[in-house]
Amino acid sequence: MATWILGMSALFHDAAVALVRDGEVVAAAQEERFTRIKHDAELPVRAAEWALAEAGIDATELDHLVFYEKPLAKFQRILVNSVAEFPRAWRSFPRAMQTWLGRKLWIAGEISRTFRVPPHKLLFSEHHLSHAASAFLPSPFDEAAILTIDGVGEATTTAIWRGNRTAPHVEPVAEVVFPHSLGLFYSAMTAFLGFAVNEGEYKVMGMAAFGRPRFMEQMRALVRLREHGSFELDLDAFCWHWHPSESFTGKLVSILGEPRFPGAPFDPTTPEGQHWADIAASTQAMLEEAVLHVARYARERVDLPNLCLAGGVGLNAVANTRLAVEGPFDQLWVQPAAGDAGGALGAALWCWHDLLEHPRVLNQRYRCDLGRRWTDAESAEILQDLRAPREQLSPQQRLNRAVDDLTTGGVIGWFQGCAEYGPRALGHRSILADPRGAGTRDRVNARIKYREAFRPFAPAVTAEAADRYFDLHTALTGPVQYMVATGTVRPEYREELAAITHIDGSARVQVVHPEHSPLFHSLLEAFGERTGMPVLLNTSFNLKGDPMVDTPIDAVAALYSSDLDAVYVGCHRVTRSERIRGGDLRD
Amino acid sequence: MGKLRRTWLKLVSPLAWSRPGAERRFLASFSETERGSAVDMLAAAELTERRDLRRKYFIHALDETRHARLFARRAGDFGAESVRARAALNDANTLQAHGIVGGRSLFERYGELEFLAFVHRSEALAVEQFGVYHDLELLDEKTDQMLQNILRDEHFHVGYSRTELERYTRSGKGADVQRALRKVFWRRPWEAWMRFSVQIGHVVTSFWMTVLYLVVVAPFKLGAARERPGFRDVPPDPRSRMTAARGQG
Ligand SMILES: [Fe+2]
Ligand SMILES: [Fe+2]
Ligand SMILES: [Fe+2]
Repeated sequence: MATWILGMSALFHDAAVALVRDGEVVAAAQEERFTRIKHDAELPVRAAEWALAEAGIDATELDHLVFYEKPLAKFQRILVNSVAEFPRAWRSFPRAMQTWLGRKLWIAGEISRTFRVPPHKLLFSEHHLSHAASAFLPSPFDEAAILTIDGVGEATTTAIWRGNRTAPHVEPVAEVVFPHSLGLFYSAMTAFLGFAVNEGEYKVMGMAAFGRPRFMEQMRALVRLREHGSFELDLDAFCWHWHPSESFTGKLVSILGEPRFPGAPFDPTTPEGQHWADIAASTQAMLEEAVLHVARYARERVDLPNLCLAGGVGLNAVANTRLAVEGPFDQLWVQPAAGDAGGALGAALWCWHDLLEHPRVLNQRYRCDLGRRWTDAESAEILQDLRAPREQLSPQQRLNRAVDDLTTGGVIGWFQGCAEYGPRALGHRSILADPRGAGTRDRVNARIKYREAFRPFAPAVTAEAADRYFDLHTALTGPVQYMVATGTVRPEYREELAAITHIDGSARVQVVHPEHSPLFHSLLEAFGERTGMPVLLNTSFNLKGDPMVDTPIDAVAALYSSDLDAVYVGCHRVTRSERIRGGDLRD
Repeated sequence: MGKLRRTWLKLVSPLAWSRPGAERRFLASFSETERGSAVDMLAAAELTERRDLRRKYFIHALDETRHARLFARRAGDFGAESVRARAALNDANTLQAHGIVGGRSLFERYGELEFLAFVHRSEALAVEQFGVYHDLELLDEKTDQMLQNILRDEHFHVGYSRTELERYTRSGKGADVQRALRKVFWRRPWEAWMRFSVQIGHVVTSFWMTVLYLVVVAPFKLGAARERPGFRDVPPDPRSRMTAARGQG
């Protein structure tokens, strides 16, 4: 009989589930895709229900439900910290007590009731252990060093692990605890630069490329690197350890000047814009220095040539690249769902391999299209009800029409197969456009994604042609398949590929292999046959502030609410009837 | 009740709109509300068994999406959008929700008929509220014009939901429709009351927790020393892995 394990993350950042059958991931999804609330942290009721239905099992058939962290340990950290920060944590203490005493402390019972899993089947991993497991267990390495860096879990903010050949596959080595945290440092700087925390970190990374790290002296005083890989933050400049709603103090302002006004336009050609860009560049450079510093120590402690990475900081593609180029490891592998959603997957796999002590099966590529899917018949029914103009195409016609759309300047939604698990769209829920010329970029930014003009778009390229256009570091062969690292656009193509080339010549490439993503690969090839360039601009299929589209209705709604030209739902090409648009349809 | 509400709105709205920054705040909150209903309507379009209604829900969702964007844009004209999350760490995060409770959308919780009753009532209330703003000339010309455009859609939302309810009545489900409308009518004040009592609860607990913190926690401070920053080795856990995994701490 098969063993079923449901991994679950919830109540802090992104709620998600991952369902594992005899060590194989059969379904995984984030709750936000179902509820349409971005970063939904509620118990993942809908995602779990779907995953079980997808596998054709009932909750009673689950052997274990593994929660991704230990609630009591976290509560303990909050208590201890409140005492240590007496009396200035007087505002955050009552708030935290309210949510904890009111609910989070009793979450085991609630999970057990909500998901109908008896208490004896309920297990608890640890936050960073879940991250570490999500990084190492699906990786191609038989053994490796593992590094997990995020804001904070229970108390740990950074940890080094050893990935072993046999159980325990994931073995703790050393850790740094709260309040010293590189993730929280980057988030605090995100707030300083006027962006929303847990959302705007990508914007800081994008902005950084426009600046020079002019503030390194100040940064190095804020994040002091010590011997043995350690780092110490200037806790007087930050206040996440005692303030309920702010991240930095007057001291940071006295060091770096006034914070950027939220929502103010950013123009790097003005002195003011340059100032913000320089702060962003310094923040990014500081993070990279610290990550390198920690990684060198990790290599000292775990003398293996390969490194696995997870935790929110693992989503910083630029830092990952610098780590590959300058760091002490030969190969890197980064869990694509490096944030807390990935903890659900890590927890489930850890249970299978380290609690139930099953060996790993190597040479299986990790795939992250683990979410919902629709058959053509199912989507046909929905599209028919919506009466959206559509054509049904054969597989070949679909490629041809998509290339027609793209080469005539169209921007299309590409809704195919299972949804991606993790924050990056990898050709299943993607918005695609011709990368040649910068005009497309402005159009996609201004009229489809409604986002800031300074943020770069990423390219997808066939594996065969990747080297022609991009300079990719050999240590990043894995990460570039999942958009968690960057490459450099070769100078001779920068002008032509302006839409996906960032100001510093970099690009967050997705390298697409035919055996991994056959459909997306053939689209790239078809586009290449027509244009000589098998490269597409690829961005996640969602409108501003929304989670990625997950269902055909979401996809068509996005089509009607934006300037997209067409959406390909399976083999249907759907377009907008101008009648609906503008809201004057009254039948 | 209807008259009462209107009178109340007429009394309160001018005060509310005259407060500094009211435009931006109000418009931004309308945007949030519209966004929330767009999500609810899309969920309904997804889940409805009435395939003939799917398109209506869908169009309704598109309208609300557009309204959300219009409101947000206009709010932006009155000042930059404020950043919602400024805290790098939020251990006290209260979980977000609009129509979604425990992962269930409004539609799932209410069912088709009651959902329609709910849509009908909330749209009617919105029309009334926006109407008061217009009648009392509380808005600047540009905002007012935008609102008039939006109102046209809202009238459609009131209309089609009424038509559907009438259809149910004609098909002999009049009693069900009346019951659903009553339920929806009373749910609003009931939920407001619940929210109010939860707020009161919060204030009371907050007070006692603050007292607890300032009085009881203080002496422990003496014994509490922060751990020294930097890497420390993780000691081996004497428990078996499975035993450790059963524990929450
Ligand atoms: Fe984390
Ligand atoms: Fe509306
Ligand atoms: Fe409406």
